Amino acid sequence: MTGVGSAPAAAPAAEGPRTGPARLDIDELVVAFGGLRAVDGVSLTIEAGSIVGLIGANGSGKSTLLDAVSGIVPLAEGRLRLDHEDLADYVPHERARLGVVRSFQDCRLYPELSVEDTLLLCEDARHRIDVLSTTLQMPWARRAERQKRLAVDRVIGSFGLERFRSHSTGHLSTGTRRIVDLASIVLANPRLLLLDEPTAGIAQREAEAFIPLLRRLHEVTDSTILLVEHDVPLVFELCSTVVVMQTGEMVAAGTPEEVRRDPRALAAYLGASEEALNVSGPIASSSGDAPPGPPPPGEGG
Amino acid sequence: MSFSLPPSVLLEGAIVGLDYGLLAVGLVLIYRTSRVVNFAQGQLGVVAAVFLVKLYYDYGFNYWAALAIALALAAAVGAVSELVLRRLFNRPRVMVMVATIGLSQVLFLFTVFPFIRPKKLFRAFPVPINWTFHVGTFLFSPGEVLTLIVAPIVVIALAAFIRLSSWGLAMRAMAENAESARLSGVWVRRTSTVAWTLAGALSAVTAVLASPGQTSALTEVLSPDLLLLALLAALIGGMVSLPVAFVAGIGVGVVLDALQWNFTNPSSGTASVELVLFLLLLAALLVRAASLQKGARVGERSSWAMGTAAFRRTGDALRRTVGATGVGITLLVVALLPFVVGVGHSFLMSQICIYGVIALSLTVLTGWSGQVSLGQFGFVAVGADIASHFSSLPLVLLLPAAGAATALVSILVGLTALRIRGLYLAVSTLGFALFMQTSVLATSCWTVPLIHKQICSGLPNPESTLIGSPSLFGINLSSAQAMAWFSLVVLVLSVLMVRVWRDRGVARRLIAVRDNEVAAGSAGIPVVRTKLLAFALSGFMAGYAGVCLAFATQRFSTDTFDPTFSILVVSMVVIGGLDSIPGALLGALYLEGLPAIFGSTPTVEFLTSGVGLVAFILYLPGGLAQIMHQLGDLVTAGVEHIRTRGSPPVEPADPAPAHPVDPHQGRSPSPAAAGTFSMADP
Repeated sequence: MTGVGSAPAAAPAAEGPRTGPARLDIDELVVAFGGLRAVDGVSLTIEAGSIVGLIGANGSGKSTLLDAVSGIVPLAEGRLRLDHEDLADYVPHERARLGVVRSFQDCRLYPELSVEDTLLLCEDARHRIDVLSTTLQMPWARRAERQKRLAVDRVIGSFGLERFRSHSTGHLSTGTRRIVDLASIVLANPRLLLLDEPTAGIAQREAEAFIPLLRRLHEVTDSTILLVEHDVPLVFELCSTVVVMQTGEMVAAGTPEEVRRDPRALAAYLGASEEALNVSGPIASSSGDAPPGPPPPGEGG
Repeated sequence: MSFSLPPSVLLEGAIVGLDYGLLAVGLVLIYRTSRVVNFAQGQLGVVAAVFLVKLYYDYGFNYWAALAIALALAAAVGAVSELVLRRLFNRPRVMVMVATIGLSQVLFLFTVFPFIRPKKLFRAFPVPINWTFHVGTFLFSPGEVLTLIVAPIVVIALAAFIRLSSWGLAMRAMAENAESARLSGVWVRRTSTVAWTLAGALSAVTAVLASPGQTSALTEVLSPDLLLLALLAALIGGMVSLPVAFVAGIGVGVVLDALQWNFTNPSSGTASVELVLFLLLLAALLVRAASLQKGARVGERSSWAMGTAAFRRTGDALRRTVGATGVGITLLVVALLPFVVGVGHSFLMSQICIYGVIALSLTVLTGWSGQVSLGQFGFVAVGADIASHFSSLPLVLLLPAAGAATALVSILVGLTALRIRGLYLAVSTLGFALFMQTSVLATSCWTVPLIHKQICSGLPNPESTLIGSPSLFGINLSSAQAMAWFSLVVLVLSVLMVRVWRDRGVARRLIAVRDNEVAAGSAGIPVVRTKLLAFALSGFMAGYAGVCLAFATQRFSTDTFDPTFSILVVSMVVIGGLDSIPGALLGALYLEGLPAIFGSTPTVEFLTSGVGLVAFILYLPGGLAQIMHQLGDLVTAGVEHIRTRGSPPVEPADPAPAHPVDPHQGRSPSPAAAGTFSMADP
C-alpha cells in the first residue's frame, strides 16, 4: 500500500476502458519474505485469451505468485507487464481497474455485507461517484446508483442468487460464497483473471462441475485466466498451458501433454503415479457421474 | 530557557514513574492473556484501597491485616471481573475493551457504597512506616519511601512468578498464540483468571502506593491522563514485555517531571508538557506499529460479528409503515417539546440532539469502518474552537466550514490509523483528545518558535469562554427553545445524510474495507482513501456538532471537552447498537436523558453508563436498536392481528436471531446449477 494520491490511475482512463483479454509477461520474478524466496526467478508469458494452470505442492509459491501479480506482496526483483503496462506502477486497486481481477482461496469475501452489497461493491470499483455528489444526491449520482443496481440485478438473476440477495455473506455456505465470488468476477469485467483454488472447500462431485463453469466464465468474461489448483485432472482438462512449480521455482511448463510426460514435473508434483492424475476419474466423462475418487492431494497452499 | 535537572526532581519523577510502571505491568499482564487493553486496570484495586482506609480507621484494624484483606479483595475483584468478561471470549476485542470501560465505572460505584467508603474522607492515607529523607531541600515523605521500596520488589516477584511457575509459562504461551496454547493443553480460561487475579492485586498495590500523596478522598485513581501515561509505558514495552513496560513507566515519570520542572509557566500551564507527551505517544505507537500489528491480527481477524448486521429491512410494506409512523410520531412529539418544557429541559433537548450527532459520527467511523476512536470529543473541540473564533459568521456558512476544517484534522489523525489499528488507534485517539483539551484549547495564544509570530488558536479564555448568540437567516437563536429546535433540525438533517451514506454506496465500501482489506483492494476499492474517507466524514459531523455544542452551552471551558465525554459517546454507540443509525440516537437519549429524569448525580450517570454498558455488551449485542426493532415487529404483528380478525395472528418475522444461521444451508445453489448462467457483458 503506497501513498494516497496516485498519478498513474488517470492514465488508463484517458484511453478509455480497455476490453478483451490481456497478455501477462512475468520476467525473472522474485518475491522474498525475509530470507525465504517464496518465488524465485520465475519467467513466464501468458498469452492473451489463454487459460494457464499453475500446479505444485503446498508452499511451492503458487499463491504468492498470484499475490505478486495482484500487488498484495511487493516484488523483490523482476518485472510484471500487463500488455505494455509495467504493473509495478500500480497499487492493488489500480491493478483491479486495469482489469486484473483476483479470487481468493479462502473466499472470505466481506462477512457482514449482504450478497447484493458485495456485488454492488464491484460496480463501485468500476464507476466511482464522489462522496459529495452522493451526499447531495446529485442526478448523476442517483442515475449511477440505479444503473449499478440494474447490473447487479441481472447478475443475481443469472447466477440464481435471488434467494440470498439480502443474506450476509458470512452466513452463507462455502459453495454459495464461491458462486457470489464468481458473480462478482463477472461484474468486475476482468482482462486477466487470477483464480486461487476455486474448488477448495467444495465437494469432489461439485468440483467436477467447475470445468464447464470455468469454461463458461472464460467465454463470458473474454479474459485471460491464470489458475492455481490442486485438482490436477481439472487443470489438465481445462488449461492450454500447465506450469509446475516447486519451492518457488518453475520446473516445467507446456501443454498438458508435454507436462504429463515431463519427468521433472512428475518428480515435483505428480508423484510419478497415474493415480494422482485420475483423482477426478476419467477425464473424458467429467459430466458428473464419475465415481468419486479420493480427495485431491492437499487443500490450501 | 535553560534546561536543568536537579537530583530531587529526578528522584521524584522516578517515584511517580514507579506507579506508572506498576500500572503498565498490569496492563501488559492482562493484554498478554486476554488481548485486551484493560481500561479498568486502575480501578480494579481502588475498591480495595478505599476499603483498606475503612478497615484501618473505622474498624481499627492493624495496618498489615487490613492490607492483607484489601489485597485479597482486589484479587477477588480481578477474578470476578475476568469471569464476567469471559463471556465475551469470542467477541471482537474492541468490544471487550469497551466492556472494561464499563467495568471501571461499575467498580467506581463500589467505592461510594457505605460499607466500603470510610466515614471520614479527608484523612491521610495510612502508611506503615515513618521514614523520610532529604535530597537537597526536598523532603521525601514516608509514602514515597514506601513506593521506592515496595514497587521494585513486587515487580521482581511477579517477573519471577511468570518466569518460573507453570502458570507463568502458560501465560507466556498464550501471549504467543492462544489457539495453539489451548491445543497443547494450556487451560486457557483458568490461566486468564490467574492473570486477572494477579492484575487485581497488582492494581491494589498500585493504588495503595499511589494514594499517600493524595490527601483528598480517593475514588478514581485512573483518570484518562494517568491511564494514557501507563498505556504509553506499556506500548513502549510492545504490550508484551513486563520489564520494559516497568522501566518505561519510570522513564515516563522522569521525563514528565523534568519537563514540568522546566517548562511549566503560569501563562500556558502544562500545555507544552502535554504536547511532548502526545508526540511521545505517537512515536511509541508508530515505532512499535510493526510488532503490535503482529499481535493484533490474531484478535482482529474475527469478523465484526455484532449480530446487528442481521437488521435488514424486510420488504414487508406494513412493517415499513409501522416504522415510519413510529418515527413520525416521535419526531412530532420531540418538535413540540420546547413549547411545554422549561428552559432547562430545552437545553437538555439540544444537548441530547447534539450528542446524537456525535454518536452518529462514531457510528460511521467505528460502526462501519471499524476504527475505534476514543477521542471523538477531540474533533468536537476543534469545531467548538472554530466557532469561538468565528462566532460572527452566519451559521449556514459556519457549520459546513467548521465541519470541513475538522474533517481535515480528522484525516491527519486518520493517517496514523493507516499504520496502527484496533486497540492502538483507540489509544492514539484518546491521546489526541487529551492533547486537544489540555494543550490546544488551553493555550490561547502561542509563539511559533522560528518565525516568532503569535498565533491564537486556542479558546480565547480557556477557563470560561462566552460565545456570541447565533442567528440563522436573521432569526436569533439565543433562547434555549430556539436552540433546541435548531439542534433538532441539525440532527434530522444528519440522520438523513447518514442514511444516504448507508443506502447509497458509502457504507458498503467502508464495511468492505473493514471486513477484508486485501480482497477489497484487489476488487478495486482504494483502501487507504476509503479509510481516510471514514475519518473525514466522521470528523465533518463531529466538527459541526462542536459548533452546535458551543452555541448551545454559550459559556464553556476546556473541561467541556474532557476526554471522558469521548468515552461516554463510545458507550452511547455500543449501548445503542454499534452500526445502527437509530441505535446511536437511542444511546444518546439513554445516557443523556436518563440522568436528567433521575437526577444528574454522578452515581446515576455512572450507573446508566457503567452497568448499562456491561449488561448491554453481555446480553444484548444488538443494543437498544434491537429492542426497538423487536418492538416494531410486535406492533406490526398486532396491527396485522386486528386487520385479519378471527384468523390466527401471523408470527412476526424475527429480523435478528441471536446467532443468525443460513436457513438455506442445505440448499445452496450448486456450481452445476450456476454453470448454465448466461450473461451478457454487464
